[in-house]
Amino acid sequence: MISFNLNGLEVQTEDGSTILEACRFYGIEIPTLCYNEGLKPYGGCRLCLVEIGTGENSKLVSSCTYPVEEGLNVRTNTRRVISARKMMIELLVSISPQSKTIQDLASKYHVTRVRFPVRNEDCVLCGLCVRMCKEQMQSGAIGFTERGYKKKIVTPFNIRSEQCRLCGGCIYICPACQMRCQGPDAPTDLCSGCLSLEPSCIEAHDDYQCWMGTTGDCGRCEGRPDQKTQDAKRSTQNAKK
Amino acid sequence: MKEFRTHLLVCAGTGCVAAGSYEIKKALEKEILKRKLDDEVRVIATGCNGFCERGPIVVVQPDGIFYQRLKPKDIPQLVEEHLLKGRPVKNLMYVPPAGEKPVPKMMDIGFFSHQRLIVLKNRGRIDPENIDEYIAFEGYQALEKSLTEMNPDDIIKEVKDAGLRGRGGAGFPTGLKWELCRRTPGDGKYVVCNADEGDPGAFMDRSILEADPHAVLEGMIIGARAIGATKGFIYVRTEYPLALQRIRIAIEQAEKYGLLGKDILGTGFDFSIEVKRGAGAFVSGEETSLLAAIEGKIGIPKQRPPYPVQRGLWRKPTNINNVETWANVPHIILRGAKWYSEIGTEGSKGTKIFSLVGKINNTGLVEVPMGITMKDIIYEIGGGIPDSKQIKAVQTGGPSGGCIPKNMLDLPIDYESLKKAGSMMGSGGMIVMDEDTCMVDVAKYFMNFLRDESCGKCLSCREGTQRIWEILERITKGKGTQADIGLLQELAQATKDASMCGLGQTAANPVLSTLNYFMDEYEAHIKYKKCPAAVCKSIISSPCQHTCPIETEAPQYIAYIAHGEFEKAYDIILKDNPLLNVCARVCHHPCETKCRAGQGGKPIAIRELKRAAIEYSNRKRRSKAKEPTGAKVAIIGSGPSGLMAAHALAHKGYAPTIFEALPVAGGMLAVGIPEYRLPAKALEEDIKRVLNAGVEIKTEQKLGRDLTLKKLFKQGYKAVYIAIGAHKSIKLGIPNEETSGVIPAMRFLTDVSLGKKCSIGSRVGIIGGGNSAVDAARVANRLPGVTEVTIIYRRTRHEMPAYAEEIESALEEGIDIKFLTAPTEVILKDGRVTGVRCTKMQLGAVDKSGRRRPIPIKDSEFIVELGTLISAISEQPDLSFLGYEHDFEISGWNTFVVENESLATNVKGVFAGGDAIRGPSSVIEAMADGKRAAETIDQYLKNTPIELQYKVTRPSVYVEPVKLTVAETLEATRQEPRKTKPAARRKKFTEVDLGLSRSAAIKEAKRCLRCDLEVKEEDEKEQS
Repeated sequence: MISFNLNGLEVQTEDGSTILEACRFYGIEIPTLCYNEGLKPYGGCRLCLVEIGTGENSKLVSSCTYPVEEGLNVRTNTRRVISARKMMIELLVSISPQSKTIQDLASKYHVTRVRFPVRNEDCVLCGLCVRMCKEQMQSGAIGFTERGYKKKIVTPFNIRSEQCRLCGGCIYICPACQMRCQGPDAPTDLCSGCLSLEPSCIEAHDDYQCWMGTTGDCGRCEGRPDQKTQDAKRSTQNAKK
Repeated sequence: MKEFRTHLLVCAGTGCVAAGSYEIKKALEKEILKRKLDDEVRVIATGCNGFCERGPIVVVQPDGIFYQRLKPKDIPQLVEEHLLKGRPVKNLMYVPPAGEKPVPKMMDIGFFSHQRLIVLKNRGRIDPENIDEYIAFEGYQALEKSLTEMNPDDIIKEVKDAGLRGRGGAGFPTGLKWELCRRTPGDGKYVVCNADEGDPGAFMDRSILEADPHAVLEGMIIGARAIGATKGFIYVRTEYPLALQRIRIAIEQAEKYGLLGKDILGTGFDFSIEVKRGAGAFVSGEETSLLAAIEGKIGIPKQRPPYPVQRGLWRKPTNINNVETWANVPHIILRGAKWYSEIGTEGSKGTKIFSLVGKINNTGLVEVPMGITMKDIIYEIGGGIPDSKQIKAVQTGGPSGGCIPKNMLDLPIDYESLKKAGSMMGSGGMIVMDEDTCMVDVAKYFMNFLRDESCGKCLSCREGTQRIWEILERITKGKGTQADIGLLQELAQATKDASMCGLGQTAANPVLSTLNYFMDEYEAHIKYKKCPAAVCKSIISSPCQHTCPIETEAPQYIAYIAHGEFEKAYDIILKDNPLLNVCARVCHHPCETKCRAGQGGKPIAIRELKRAAIEYSNRKRRSKAKEPTGAKVAIIGSGPSGLMAAHALAHKGYAPTIFEALPVAGGMLAVGIPEYRLPAKALEEDIKRVLNAGVEIKTEQKLGRDLTLKKLFKQGYKAVYIAIGAHKSIKLGIPNEETSGVIPAMRFLTDVSLGKKCSIGSRVGIIGGGNSAVDAARVANRLPGVTEVTIIYRRTRHEMPAYAEEIESALEEGIDIKFLTAPTEVILKDGRVTGVRCTKMQLGAVDKSGRRRPIPIKDSEFIVELGTLISAISEQPDLSFLGYEHDFEISGWNTFVVENESLATNVKGVFAGGDAIRGPSSVIEAMADGKRAAETIDQYLKNTPIELQYKVTRPSVYVEPVKLTVAETLEATRQEPRKTKPAARRKKFTEVDLGLSRSAAIKEAKRCLRCDLEVKEEDEKEQS
């Protein structure tokens, strides 16, 4: 056991645990996006920031990747943490405003405006799908390419990888490719729409299974509008992009 | 070993190789063979000398003669003269920027003499591909010492005591790092040399590897011994082929000599080094990312802790240091910690290598002791800023460093002070920027680099750099808003705070530091839609139009002239400027200083073209006189500012009246600028044009004497514009100047132009170096009876503030200018001036204005004999009319204080502009003030809040570009105006500058690069 200071309290945690794990154990809420208990921490979304150190040496670190050290001084709710976190959420919304997960984060953490031109992308590069594929599905069908603002997630050489077993784990875990909540029809209606949201990948690609290579397997095409109008819609969308 | 009488050291660093040093080497060898000197003279290719700007470089040893910018055709002369006849060749030597004499010896050149070489001591001295030469200069002695006489703890203690800190940028104490790594339990430790030098404009690591690779190897072996590592890696960027080649040769040779590999020097210590090539990612310079790259993974940083010293390469304790750090180690071990720690400052020991680049005379690589001031590096080593431009800032620390403004150049360079100033040491890039650099553009440039080079893992860094770049792009397009500043600050702070690795944490520095020191430039872009350096294309359209204070559409009238349509050109000029005759003769043409054709060539003669447009157009129409109508506005002073304001007000439907104190209209134009520069007829034409617009003028009406502001308001004038100029000369401040023989320049010039009699004797001296000094000198020289005119100026011609062309003309006319001379006392005899006692000056250190401060030389006094002394050091507005009691706010320079934008003084209804608010300034700026004042007076009289509209610069018409033939493009040189011969100017006030001929004007106009067309295309693209 190692002891450290958490928001002014002397607490103990197991050796080798991260700040995030320790905080959650003590019931302190820290928002995350790219973190998933079943996957290796990545530290990409920068939402789980906490402040450590004192005085001039204090700095923000991602709690999901930072191991607790003996005597560490951790603050989870300083002004610096909050303003950096809010800026991160604002940036996330500006990339992918249609994601319910991100919209929920925004409303929960009082992000009330987005001052950047909105990009409407389906991906925020949290890397969950890549890790899901590799760690849980023991595959490696997708990965990152390029760097900086050109970074994206692709299959090797942009063709379907033989590693891919069409498990759909990547889409299952994706926080961004969901449809935007449209709100209930009338003020009195119960909505529950969020519970049955389907990934927006279906809009962007033929069907999510089809996207992975085998058309019609999933049966989702049934009962959908005429395929031709779908194609036309898609091509205009692509042209816009 | 064979001995040679002379060694020719040919620089073979990347810079010199690119400039052709291998060809020089070949030519030298051929020539030496031809002259049968090959038994006496040896040619050696060495590492980089650092003075890359002057390549290819050859140093002749043992004489130490430095030859630069050699071409193969110079070689026969060099060999014949120097090697055969023993006469060093002067025309191949280095000439300092401010001097005229060549400097033969390398160590006498400022660039070299102010450096302190430790790490680079072997540069330009040994053949880096020959281990024997390294060994001959104490090479591998430190290794021997550390292996045989010291145990690992001794080595670490020595490095710790020396105070060596990481030269990669962060400055972590090297000895401490080694100790941490040594103490971490485990075997199979590694040492790594970081040679992934990715900063744009930085090349010190490359230079060390190219010039002295064995020093790095020796440092690494000593480090490995101290830490207990058995394997080392050197991670070099692939972009450094020469460095890669030389380090590989060095490893091979060291292995052959038993200095690397098994059982080094028979001590039982094993250590081997492997070279890894980096594939060109900036982020791979970050240590965890670099280690990932060596392991063969994608170069993406990892969370620290665990630090590499705890768990690094393949999870083993790893010590990683930068090239320069490793190269310091042998020197510390050999000479001891005490010797090393005596160099530098309290917290930063030793020397640091900087790559000095940008707008500086001596570009290159310099090694200086820590604690040296930035000013010393720039002026003593770097030789100052080229083309007499003003320095603006110095950017240090690579793309994620910061900019340090010119008023902080006294900053001693060490890790802490740079950090405190908002920048960082980084690996040692130092980019000097002059007045032609736009700081917003600089920030944008670096953000563009960083958004590309961010690994993209952290949202804060990937999106932060991208969004910051987007905002900056918006601002440089003139589409920024005031809110953008706040957003930039907030976003930059968040990027800095939230990112994981060094890249992200420092990525916002270019923005934060420019926001901190150059907020005025951001505001200029956002609010005023101005780019002060005339760089941001989308705002400026063409630099000449943008730079002109009244935005004269120079590219348009130049284009019309190129087509031969002088009438249309005339119309374009007249549109913005009623005083076109004046401007065509005496404007100091700021447009030409920013002209793109002037970058690497000579700027377009824009002012002369304006004159041609007037002279060769048939439309010298006399405009019809209009009667003044509307509300009455009083304008005090009929100088350029007053005339401009009156003209603009009349066009807006007011009835302006100009009150002029002198008997003639024109203010400084009439009495300050001599007839030979601006003939009275030309001025008259312009004044007539202004009056015809509906302006009334009353001469000999002096404020305070004939009228008061109160009376003016009583008489029904609704607003007053004060444009009284600066007509009062400042006193010299030396003994005996209160005598009739010492005349203020302004009074002298006024008297001469009003035709008053001036008896000034035959010998006249003028004190000062500005335009009024030169004018006074040239006027005095033209007066009958004057035989000798001397200008006394305390600095050199280089620093003289008068326009270069005026100085040139003065010298042509036989005026003697005594530079570096300051007056100390006026010598009187019976109340008459007989001379002035002067002292010789020399230029000392650079002061805040970026000029070298003149310092008196002891016991150098001498007397200049003369009958009259004219003082022309500077002028101020004559505010005596205000009396002792007034409500105006007055500055320390005796000028009116006005609101920046509206030009309103603190007294209601009274505005001021021109020299009355600026002190002695230029005609065109005074005119711009007049134009602006008319705008704000209009708003004031309409009772609307005073708010000026600012727009990005655009031409009003599109003029088809001319088609040039190849011959025309090739022979395009600046056309110089015809001038009256100096002999014909004697004692006459006839105009000196006679303008361009019609054909020369068309030829000159065809040289214009038409910068405005580029933006036109851009605009059209955006619209579609």
